[in-house]
Amino acid sequence: MLIIKDLHASVGDKPILKGINLTVNAGEVHAIMGPNGSGKSTLSNVLAGRENVTVTSGSIEYLGHDLLALEVEERAREGVFLAFQYPVEIPGVGNVYLLKAALNAQRKHHGLPELDAMEFLALVKDKMKLMEMNESMLYRAVNEGFSGGEKKRNEILQMAVLEPRLAILDETDSGLDIDALKIVANGVNSLRHPERSMILVTHYQRLLDYIKPDYVHVLAGGRIVRSGGPELAHELEKQGYAWIGNETTGQEVSSGS
Amino acid sequence: MAIAHYQSEFERLGSLLPWQGSPQWQEWRQSGWARFAAQGFPTTRHEEWKYTSLAALEKLALSCAPVAAEAPALTWDSLQARAVLPQARYRAVFVDGHFAPQLSRLDGLPAGIAVRPLSTLSAQDSIGLQAALEAVRTRTPFAALNAAFMAEGAWITAAAEASLDDPLLILYVTTRGGQAQHVVNAYDLERGGRVAVAEQYLGLSDEPYFVNQVTGVQLAPGAQLHHVKLQQEGERAYHIGALQASQQGGSRFESHSFALSGAFGRNDMETALLEPGAAVVMNGLYRVAGREFQDFHTCIRHESPDCTSDEYFKGVLDGSGRAVFNGKIVVAQDAQHTASRQSNHNLLLSDQAEVDTKPQLEIFADDVKCSHGATVGQLDEDQWFYLRSRGLEPDHARTLLIDAFSLDVLSSIGHAGLRAAMDHLMRGQGHV
Repeated sequence: MLIIKDLHASVGDKPILKGINLTVNAGEVHAIMGPNGSGKSTLSNVLAGRENVTVTSGSIEYLGHDLLALEVEERAREGVFLAFQYPVEIPGVGNVYLLKAALNAQRKHHGLPELDAMEFLALVKDKMKLMEMNESMLYRAVNEGFSGGEKKRNEILQMAVLEPRLAILDETDSGLDIDALKIVANGVNSLRHPERSMILVTHYQRLLDYIKPDYVHVLAGGRIVRSGGPELAHELEKQGYAWIGNETTGQEVSSGS
Repeated sequence: MAIAHYQSEFERLGSLLPWQGSPQWQEWRQSGWARFAAQGFPTTRHEEWKYTSLAALEKLALSCAPVAAEAPALTWDSLQARAVLPQARYRAVFVDGHFAPQLSRLDGLPAGIAVRPLSTLSAQDSIGLQAALEAVRTRTPFAALNAAFMAEGAWITAAAEASLDDPLLILYVTTRGGQAQHVVNAYDLERGGRVAVAEQYLGLSDEPYFVNQVTGVQLAPGAQLHHVKLQQEGERAYHIGALQASQQGGSRFESHSFALSGAFGRNDMETALLEPGAAVVMNGLYRVAGREFQDFHTCIRHESPDCTSDEYFKGVLDGSGRAVFNGKIVVAQDAQHTASRQSNHNLLLSDQAEVDTKPQLEIFADDVKCSHGATVGQLDEDQWFYLRSRGLEPDHARTLLIDAFSLDVLSSIGHAGLRAAMDHLMRGQGHV
């Protein structure tokens, strides 16, 4: 599904990612944990195609394509989905309009007929039940005036509608109370599928109590310094990130499965 | 050059202009000409024209002839798709500055409502027009030029409590270059009269031409005018408009201007709130691209206590387009309890685009609520990225964001029929 090799990337002149290696196979859920400033969000942004991040060397292969050669919108239509840490408010653009335009852009790309308004509404209302969202949110502007929890739920709703092959969830748990976290986690879990891979980017172990990862990686100083199973998250929770400082200078740890 | 050209046109056309037998109209035209000749074309040294160069217009030798050499072969079917009110029950269509009865439909108007093309009026019947146009004719040099040459337009009157709620379409179509059209619209609404109207200026010629129009509005107590003006002029067209309204107690004037295309546009709009309870909404949207230019100079005069004004203009500027917004609010000394709001927001889509925006508040009363604000911004990169990250084409995402910025002006159109028509025109059917 996804093969990242020796990825180096900078924001402005500042190198942030310094040699990431990561392989994610179909159906796997990987958690990437790390302290603030370790490069977690930069990695998410590189995958989604954010222009302010410059890849200086290395490669990313996605379903056999060179991901870095694809434009942002092409990646989306090929099944890459980023659930934003801070979903943007877009006054004046209806939520339902965006959902429908996004789905139809993807369908068109794959040579499928576009859904009409009736077909689309039936589909989206079904997905909204999953996210315990009120239908009125469809007719509001994208994220405008949404609470933090509503914004995150709206991201997962988009994911549910678009059914990506590779979903990157960037700090999806941040700013959520426990009830909202459960709803979001339920939504994500229901989207687990043998053909769908997920990368959970998170600072805290809390999210991983509700979405069980297959692999956990620790990112520090722009490198993956440790990889392991779900137990690694618990170890981090107990020890914090302080111990990592000693390891980053040590030997590079290869990761992935 | 310019004055000499219009001087010779004035001499050449003198006897061809309507209502020759009327000394009042002769005096009207002569004084208009004298005023224009004395002022000439304003230059950028004039404060009111500081950012607005007329040099290119001045060089054009345009015909002011009011008589068409031949009637262009236009049918309503060919115009309907472009009309802002394609299903209008009432419409007055003018082609190249001439009333086109075969394209118009003015029968069966509600009782007390009259819509009269100027060319259908006798000298005697037309004299009443002067009252409606008296204030506007001295407003700008071009309004004075219009007074000298005016030959066509529409005079709309509403008797007391008469109502035209099914919106009227007044469509000015230009099919040929080389001409200067001097047209007028006059709205006289008596006590409690109500009129909804869309004035649409549609250019079907890519050659240079000049529409020089004036609008006079008189609202008696309790009268309501819902007015949409739409400029969709040709790519080398000049459009200059002057509007002057006077509002008596409890009257309401809603003015929504949309300057969507044309090489050059200038609008001078003014309303005077003369008695308590008068209210004005003066909103608009200008869009420029390429080398287009649009200029709105507005003035709202609070002459009396307890009046309200709401002014909201938005601008979208692309390419090397330029725009000017000057919003003047004058609150007279005894106009206490005035409530006035003004805002102007601009979206710059390119490095070459430029807007000059200037609120100008002159407040002489002390118990008033007046607010104003102006902004100039760019497309939000985060919003653009977000939409693209969901698979939308870059151009589609951009259009969505531009519409999101600019089209909230539509929601302020109080008349449901006019709002629906503009919504359809600006958005099409594409939105869920």
